[in-house]
Amino acid sequence: MDIIIQSLAAVYNPMTLLLVTVGVLFGMVCGSLPGLSTSMAIILLLPFTYSMDPVSAIVLMVSCYVGGSCGGSISSILLKTPGTPEAVATTFDGYPMAQQGRAGEALGLAVTASSFGTIFSAIVMLVASPVLAQAALSFQSAEYFGLGLIGLSCITSIGSKNQTKAVVSVMIGLMVGTIGIDSINGVERFAFEQPSLLNGINYISVMIGAFAVAEVYKNIEEYRHVDTSLRTEQKVKIKLMKFSEMARMWSSFIRGSVIGTIIGIIPAAGGSIASLIAYGSEAQNENAKPKFGEGNPRGIIAPECSHNAAVGGSMVPTLTLGIPGSPVAAVIMAAFLIIGLTPGPMLLREQPIMLNAIFLALITAALLLFIGGRFVTSQFGHILKLPYPLLGTLIVTLGVVGAYSLKNSFYDVLIMFVFGLVGYFFDKFKYSNAAVILGLILGEIIENSLRKQIIIGDGSGMGFVTRPVSVLVLTVAVLTFLWPMMSKKFKNR
Amino acid sequence: MTIEIIFNILIGLGVLFYLTHAIQLPATDNPADVLGAGGFPIIIGVVALIGLAMITIHTVKEKRKVDIPMLNLRSIDGRMVFINVLLLAAYVGLLDVIGFVLATFAYVLVAPLSMGYRKPLVLAVFASVTTTAMVVIFGIVFYVPLPRGVDLFRDLSYMLY
Repeated sequence: MDIIIQSLAAVYNPMTLLLVTVGVLFGMVCGSLPGLSTSMAIILLLPFTYSMDPVSAIVLMVSCYVGGSCGGSISSILLKTPGTPEAVATTFDGYPMAQQGRAGEALGLAVTASSFGTIFSAIVMLVASPVLAQAALSFQSAEYFGLGLIGLSCITSIGSKNQTKAVVSVMIGLMVGTIGIDSINGVERFAFEQPSLLNGINYISVMIGAFAVAEVYKNIEEYRHVDTSLRTEQKVKIKLMKFSEMARMWSSFIRGSVIGTIIGIIPAAGGSIASLIAYGSEAQNENAKPKFGEGNPRGIIAPECSHNAAVGGSMVPTLTLGIPGSPVAAVIMAAFLIIGLTPGPMLLREQPIMLNAIFLALITAALLLFIGGRFVTSQFGHILKLPYPLLGTLIVTLGVVGAYSLKNSFYDVLIMFVFGLVGYFFDKFKYSNAAVILGLILGEIIENSLRKQIIIGDGSGMGFVTRPVSVLVLTVAVLTFLWPMMSKKFKNR
Repeated sequence: MTIEIIFNILIGLGVLFYLTHAIQLPATDNPADVLGAGGFPIIIGVVALIGLAMITIHTVKEKRKVDIPMLNLRSIDGRMVFINVLLLAAYVGLLDVIGFVLATFAYVLVAPLSMGYRKPLVLAVFASVTTTAMVVIFGIVFYVPLPRGVDLFRDLSYMLY
């Protein structure tokens, strides 16, 4: 009881609350700007934490993590340019909603779902973090492979108009993902002795090109013939969900949050995979109206709940085992070490207030998202009022800076340019840009896990079917792939 | 239909090129690594080729007409998209020569004009505000080392960020 009271006192004091507010707002702004990741936002905050007490420092960074995770959806919805990799899935239904003049509603859904996901995972973590962390360790290569396949099952829904083209698109994404040094045995693949290709192709620059730049090209040829008054004249005012609306879509909230929490706990899986899997599971419903990919609210709720739930989830292995649950959690772990704390089992014994304080901070940050979300999104909303020639130019310029900022390299800008053209033609011939990105994001985890498991099995793939967790994950993967076809057959009967 | 078949063939050639290189990747020393560096690329390359063949057959049967304005330079829309692609290429190419500030200012000034926007004063203000905001947010606040250009442009950029 004493620990809980001390934790409450550590978080609910004016200074810490101010830090939570600053962290959420700063994270949201960074997350919403393509090229500025949540990790970068936390790194930028790091020097300010040197003179703080450990709880305040960590609370600031965790709040920034929550804000950044949600912020990516702002540019996803308004500009079709995901600010963070986690926000890719939000683009699928968020941007169509903005095009229909429902940007405020889409942003409200994103903020509400992000807050819900964060609170959900924080509560789960508070109750069961040590147990869950141990369970997460049972995930090995075979299970990671299954997880990647579940993520890929998303193509059955995002490519519903032409499944074969979606499959080819995902294969192209997987191919692009193999460029660079092979991480298993260090062989140079498809780099053609170009140093810049050795590190592979960054999916953020591909994403900016194929989504944002290609969309600008498409709009340039259409804007003179399409009535854009809906988009340009309405004030984009965030519409937060009412409780009754939330209750109507409770299943999407819970499903997204559960998926995000579980995947967040698994070391190195992260929010981007969580949001794709959550979107894929939601989009299995073919009878949904409007259809997924055409502005279905559930297509925003599930991924947003999921990647923000992954924030809390990723803190579990970080704090309890000293294994970062995501790239951002790795940065926070480094911050722990700088402050003089070593994450791991001993941390829970030596700093019992810390764990509770972090999860209380998560809940507070989630609640503050409503206020921060209203403020940040309303500022971004003004952008939509620009005439298209100015808006399109702004998107491209932001894309160029975003791609360049990734590694301060022209090579990423070139990639963005090339994929802008590729994306344009893919769109014209009804291939799926989203599937390309999906393949690119999941390619590494799928190939590496597949090969590692075969190596562990001394050349045999039996490990995939002899490990109970693997069998379960692979069964789910197969079912999610086959479900759309099976449901069609059932309907025909 | 023809243009789509040509597009599929181009992708197919790309995949074949990829496959040829994948087959040539060196075998691994580890006998347990059955797939090696080339195994996974070969699998996905073959699946892509089969898929492309199916798509092409379907395209031939369907005979769907696809309109690609960018390839039709006689239309105004096509010309606007094509010019914008060239402008973006020029912007990217000039970034490292004349620096971020000048290249961005010039691009933001010219690109809307190429899309038919005709309010020079608004455009001048927009270009100035956008360039300043980008430099302040990315160059100064977030310490992104924005391109400085060469020679004189480089020296001048140090006065700004």
